[in-house]
Amino acid sequence: MITVCRHELKLGFKTLLIWSLSVGIMGLLCILMYTSMEGEMADMAESFSKLGAFSDAFGMSTLSIATLGGFFATEVGTVHGLGSAMFAAITAAVILSKEEDGHTGEFLYSLPISRGSAVTGKALSVLINLVAFTVICGVFYVIGFVALGEDVLWKELLLFLVRMLLMNVEIAALALLLSACSQRNRMGMGLGLALIFYAYDVIGRAVPDMKDYLFVGPLSYANASEIFAGKETPVVAFAVAAAVIAVAVAASYRVYLKKDLAS
Amino acid sequence: MADVIRIENLTKSYGKKRGVTDISLTVKEGEIFGFIGPNGAGKSTTIRSMLGFLNFDKGAITILGKDSVKEHVGILKEVGYMPSEALFYPTMKVSEVIKFAADARGLDCREEAEMLCERLQLDTGKRIKELSLGNRKKVSIVCAMQHKPKLFVFDEPSSGLDPLMQSTFFELIKEYVKKGATCFLSTHVLSEVSRYCDRAAIMREGRLIKVDMVDNLTESTAKSVKVTADGMHEEYMYNGDINELVKKLSERKLQNLYIEEPSLEDMFMHFYEGKEEVR
Repeated sequence: MITVCRHELKLGFKTLLIWSLSVGIMGLLCILMYTSMEGEMADMAESFSKLGAFSDAFGMSTLSIATLGGFFATEVGTVHGLGSAMFAAITAAVILSKEEDGHTGEFLYSLPISRGSAVTGKALSVLINLVAFTVICGVFYVIGFVALGEDVLWKELLLFLVRMLLMNVEIAALALLLSACSQRNRMGMGLGLALIFYAYDVIGRAVPDMKDYLFVGPLSYANASEIFAGKETPVVAFAVAAAVIAVAVAASYRVYLKKDLAS
Repeated sequence: MADVIRIENLTKSYGKKRGVTDISLTVKEGEIFGFIGPNGAGKSTTIRSMLGFLNFDKGAITILGKDSVKEHVGILKEVGYMPSEALFYPTMKVSEVIKFAADARGLDCREEAEMLCERLQLDTGKRIKELSLGNRKKVSIVCAMQHKPKLFVFDEPSSGLDPLMQSTFFELIKEYVKKGATCFLSTHVLSEVSRYCDRAAIMREGRLIKVDMVDNLTESTAKSVKVTADGMHEEYMYNGDINELVKKLSERKLQNLYIEEPSLEDMFMHFYEGKEEVR
């Protein structure tokens, strides 16, 4: 299991670097843009907060983008939310199916590794990549706050990163199931999954009738504006996340252990 | 000698598609056992069932005294498998793939791997994506042999290897077998079977139609007849009274005639084209 995990981490190292550096640097640049926009932001913030559904969808009615916390939540929250969700989805969506798609399964599974420990090793590598991604991006955001000479909003920032990580794990768990069920590369479907969740959250916040059902999607508890505004998140959202992760991971094992491996 | 492989009534179907039906065979310790059949005959399905890649519908497989389903990982520790498609992770170096295979077994196989790479003239510094099919086959051979397994399972091993490397490969097999290993060789190259194997099984359309010593497979009352008479050339297998054959042939104006023992190729075609099962 450890051998498989180490092997996957090695294979996925470049992807991790590309995605985490891209998202982290984009987030850092967003933070650095704050000082140059600070003056104009005060006027814009009021207008933005009165755009009705649009303001609700992007959290600008919850928090003023004239403050660093509000600006971070609105700008970096979106960049990190989308970027990390896409990274989680593409990493997990191919982790099992790539062996059949690339015809490497006969080599891997002829080694004395049970399919169960292969799934565990691979899933663990996805989790480690997601944690590493979050830490690397977090470091860039802290650098951004420090470079601006502002106090780092540790509590909000850490809460934001932990919840984003949980969201990524939830998306990765669903993508893992997708991967277990498929014999082909399902990276496109994984990306689609991440984008569907994002669209669901944006639409859900804009449409009043859908607001009560936001907890179904993983972005409900990882909304940066609500976290930085100190808003409570309904416990049911975490319960749904825990259930989705548990069921998706268990189903992935069940499907993958029972299936015939394609040559 | 103990049975290293024991397959009993193995049946595997892919939905409505045929896989293999009611396969039973045994492979004894120290044997080189040929598994012959054309593409689609069910050779790979049998091998993939043996190694746990497929969940079979009926039957039982015991390898090295272990149940292939319950003690799957234990079996793989003692088996060196070379798949027909030698495909690895393209970005990895040859040395990394070989080390990964050894690490997965929890063994230090450096000495044996070095010897194998030298004999096979394999450049371990190259990346997999830079290798030809023949060189990928060599990586596959090293991964299958470096841990000195008790049982080798080879699926079309020689395709892609040049004649010199084919010879080195079979020399290696013979050396390991001499030291006590057993070899299950699936191939459609009949000359390999007649040259290297002790016994062989012939597969046809998902069924096992013949298992015997290779010598017995070619030793038959059937004769290969090649005749040029009345300006026409004919080749066929004759399985009757030789006097009748000579009588019939004497009625024609012969230009050329060969009556000889059938080769394994002839026997294979005879079994394969025959409508009845031959046992």
